[in-house]
Amino acid sequence: MHIKHNEMAKYGIIATLAIAIAIPFLIDSMFILNLLVLMLIFIIFASAWNLLAYSGQGSLGHAAFFGIGAYASTLIAAKSGLSPFITIFLGAAVAAFIGILIGLTCVRLKEWFLAMVTFGFAIIVQTLTVSVLAPVTGGWDGIASSRLLSPSIPGYQLIEYYAVLAITIASITAIWYIMKSRIGLAFLAIRENELEARAAGIDPVHYRLLAFALSAYLAGVAGALEIHHIGYLTPELYGVENSFWPVTYVILGGLGSLAGPVIGTIVLTIIWEGLKATGLTFGRYIIVGIMLILAIIFLPRGLVSLPEQVREWLKRRWKKDPLPETAGG
Amino acid sequence: MDNLGVFLQIIFWGLYAGCIYILLATGLNLIFGVMKIVNFAHGEFLMVGAYITATIFFLTGINPYLIILLSMLVLIGIGAVVERFCFRPILGTGKLNEIFLSIGLIYIFQNGAAMVWGDSWQSVKSPYDGITVPVGSLFVPLDYILIMIFTAAILCGLYLFLKKTTIGMQMRATSQNRKGAMLVGINVERIDVISFGLGCALAAAAGTLWIVSGQVFNPYMGSIPAIKAFTIIILGGLGSIPGAIIGGLLMGLAENGAAFLLGGIWKDAISFVILIIVLVVRPTGLFGEKGE
Repeated sequence: MHIKHNEMAKYGIIATLAIAIAIPFLIDSMFILNLLVLMLIFIIFASAWNLLAYSGQGSLGHAAFFGIGAYASTLIAAKSGLSPFITIFLGAAVAAFIGILIGLTCVRLKEWFLAMVTFGFAIIVQTLTVSVLAPVTGGWDGIASSRLLSPSIPGYQLIEYYAVLAITIASITAIWYIMKSRIGLAFLAIRENELEARAAGIDPVHYRLLAFALSAYLAGVAGALEIHHIGYLTPELYGVENSFWPVTYVILGGLGSLAGPVIGTIVLTIIWEGLKATGLTFGRYIIVGIMLILAIIFLPRGLVSLPEQVREWLKRRWKKDPLPETAGG
Repeated sequence: MDNLGVFLQIIFWGLYAGCIYILLATGLNLIFGVMKIVNFAHGEFLMVGAYITATIFFLTGINPYLIILLSMLVLIGIGAVVERFCFRPILGTGKLNEIFLSIGLIYIFQNGAAMVWGDSWQSVKSPYDGITVPVGSLFVPLDYILIMIFTAAILCGLYLFLKKTTIGMQMRATSQNRKGAMLVGINVERIDVISFGLGCALAAAAGTLWIVSGQVFNPYMGSIPAIKAFTIIILGGLGSIPGAIIGGLLMGLAENGAAFLLGGIWKDAISFVILIIVLVVRPTGLFGEKGE
């Protein structure tokens, strides 16, 4: 994921940040502000999933870590009386710990098996939550979760937005550092060729577990943020829907790139809410499904690669080049 | 109720549920064997098959057991379209892509069905509803026995098809060695379409048998049975049809046993607990795997 046009990327980041900071002043709508908060949370979630996929592991059960972070944070906050701003990170640590445990069973598995185990794990966690753990978790009914900020504080929604924005930026910066560090290189090496990675002295098991822990941690942060924002949580958090959304966002935006999850989440949220305005219910999912399949077939590197792709198409058309250029890298 | 009676009841429930899983798992295995892809959206074909049967039944009142063939034929068509326009373009581009593409298919099929048929729970009343057959100390619904017979008949038909017909032999050749099959002049892309269609037809049969037993269904019913079928083929060995049959029966027994001993809530989770335990012990599945 090298950035060809460094300058363009830099301006893109600055522009995005400027819009993100200015937007509450431009649009005076609590509904949209709430939507933006949820979008930011899903950017963290999608980025977390993307980090795991970066190491070659495609999870279909990331809702498990999202939900574990949410439940752990809520319960810690309720038992200890700590502020949600602290328990978010404690709850995420619980998710990371469980991520390591499930990672231990996954690290030696192939793609399909890993997808199955993670998918099944989310169902197991949901079952546990509503059966054995029901006295603590409230079963199917769920429990109330302390709010990030008390609604009695004037302008609390605005403060909440900026708090979530700060955590999102911090998370993405952290992922950026991880991706460009030795760890990120090791993830890439394992994904591309495990044997060669091993020959280069990289222990795949060690790094895969690390990817699981980091990804589960961030997914836990996202889950905890969401329920402290909403103020209530139910076992539906573990649903298939929550496992599939990050996949959809990332594939559409661009798998394995830093900007992919961000762009994918923003674009899809806009489309999703736009379609909602037209009154579609089931049709929205069908459109998303079609977009997903089209992206996989025609735009395998996601929306991130769209400018590059368009340029290539145009070039080919102008040159009337009968042979497609060999794709580099 | 004596213990033996309960035990027998669990066995019968397990065998009946196992039949559905066997059909699903065999279909997945057929597709995997030939194309080396795994379709996570396989359960959606079960669901569509179930709805087609139910729709024809509601419209005409024909015995649902007779509609099964029609439903399978329709699904061969749908499967062929999905193979041609979704899976073929991404063949060989990485296994993760197949998983992601399946998610897109799940979105499309589930919500398409919800648009056409609504998303509420429905059920079909079998013409043999309420008729039981005494087996030992137990009265088994006739439907369960018919389902087992139909499953056996479909599997025998599939066996004969694979062994005796030219297309069946071409399918086996392609699954053993794709390049070799191409070299001897087999049109492997055509074989891909046929295998995918047949796999979907088996899912439609499973869906039909699922609903004629009186089980309720809605557009989201397919995911869990499909994932279980997937668990079965991991346990039984990818591409192994005998493994799918044994695994399917064991899965049916295990989940009904677990539902009885631990409570109904565990019915779905138990298969994944088994899966995780098996994969911890043997990361390549119970019987290993020959393919990639």
